[in-house]
Amino acid sequence: MAQIVAGFGVPHTPVFPFFVKRDGPDCEIAKLFGAQKEQLAATRPDLIVMFDTDHLNTFFLDALPIFAMGIDKSFKAPNDEPREVPNYIVKSVPDFAAHIRAAAIGAGYDVAMTQNFSVDHSVTVPLHFLTPEMQVPVIPFFISGHLPPLPSAQRCYALGRAVARAIESWPAALRVVIMGSGSFSLEVGGPRMAPGRSDGVPDPDWALRVIKYLEQAQIERLIAESTEHQMLKAGNVGGELLNWIAMLGAIGNRKPDYIAPQMQNGHAYGVWRWN
Amino acid sequence: MSIFAVNHLCRELLRDQAFRAAMKADPAKALAPLDLTEPERRALLDGDVGALYRMGVNGFLMGYLARFEVCGLNVQSYNERMRAVKVDEIGQPVA
Repeated sequence: MAQIVAGFGVPHTPVFPFFVKRDGPDCEIAKLFGAQKEQLAATRPDLIVMFDTDHLNTFFLDALPIFAMGIDKSFKAPNDEPREVPNYIVKSVPDFAAHIRAAAIGAGYDVAMTQNFSVDHSVTVPLHFLTPEMQVPVIPFFISGHLPPLPSAQRCYALGRAVARAIESWPAALRVVIMGSGSFSLEVGGPRMAPGRSDGVPDPDWALRVIKYLEQAQIERLIAESTEHQMLKAGNVGGELLNWIAMLGAIGNRKPDYIAPQMQNGHAYGVWRWN
Repeated sequence: MSIFAVNHLCRELLRDQAFRAAMKADPAKALAPLDLTEPERRALLDGDVGALYRMGVNGFLMGYLARFEVCGLNVQSYNERMRAVKVDEIGQPVA
């Protein structure tokens, strides 16, 4: 049977590959992703299931699912031109993805699907740093975390649990890593940007509280406080926290190995390993 | 649905190289065939992203106007105009 062996929480800031190219391997971003890359390699993953929020690139306002999965043998990444990111072809596992989707629908989560798709920086940037050879197949699971109405934190956590049950009922002996991609507090292109920048962190106190709850495995409090109002107050992409919450649902309520905050960006790098 | 058209053209700046070039060369001509209201068209040509935000255009998508420097915008002017919009606690415009 397939087994979940680790959880990772990752940022996906599109300009990070450019910064690392410019500033070299000793810069903070390179070190933080480098540490996660080592941790990920040590899990010997056969597959990554990544909870992610698309930035109106894979989907758009003409058809915007709350939950969706990419189901194909491979997909192109990225589709939104982040600087210094090559064009990748990422392998996937369509029969396993279809199995997860069917199980999720059976459990009451109406998950849309896309085929012949591409993904944006929110999937690509973490992979660019963590699996640059693209040797590990990836199944993307999209959660609508930007445009209200947002799905509830409770539902995303429960969705993660349903995805875990689906993974653990797959007959092949695969080691599966779950990732959640995104920020806790960030405004991109909206009125709450910092002066002179294209983004800002509207609610750093919330980001700190999220990090504390993650470190202490206070998942119930995290879910209770992650209301739509709080996530929108944290910025126009504050709902990306839902990807971390779904990841936590999939891995169960555990203490992390570490959470490394990057407060100027309102996000963190998290690792949960047990196997 | 014309707010949809504004949101869509912002993304087309990213997706469609020919449209991006046309918007950089002559925005009025590039926007002429699009189904926009006159206030939307005027705000776009003026680079008045604050007015567009108050009309309901998505801030994230409008960021492409600054990224690709069309309608007289760049990161600095976009930032100043967008930050001038008064919003409530969850980022919705207020009078």
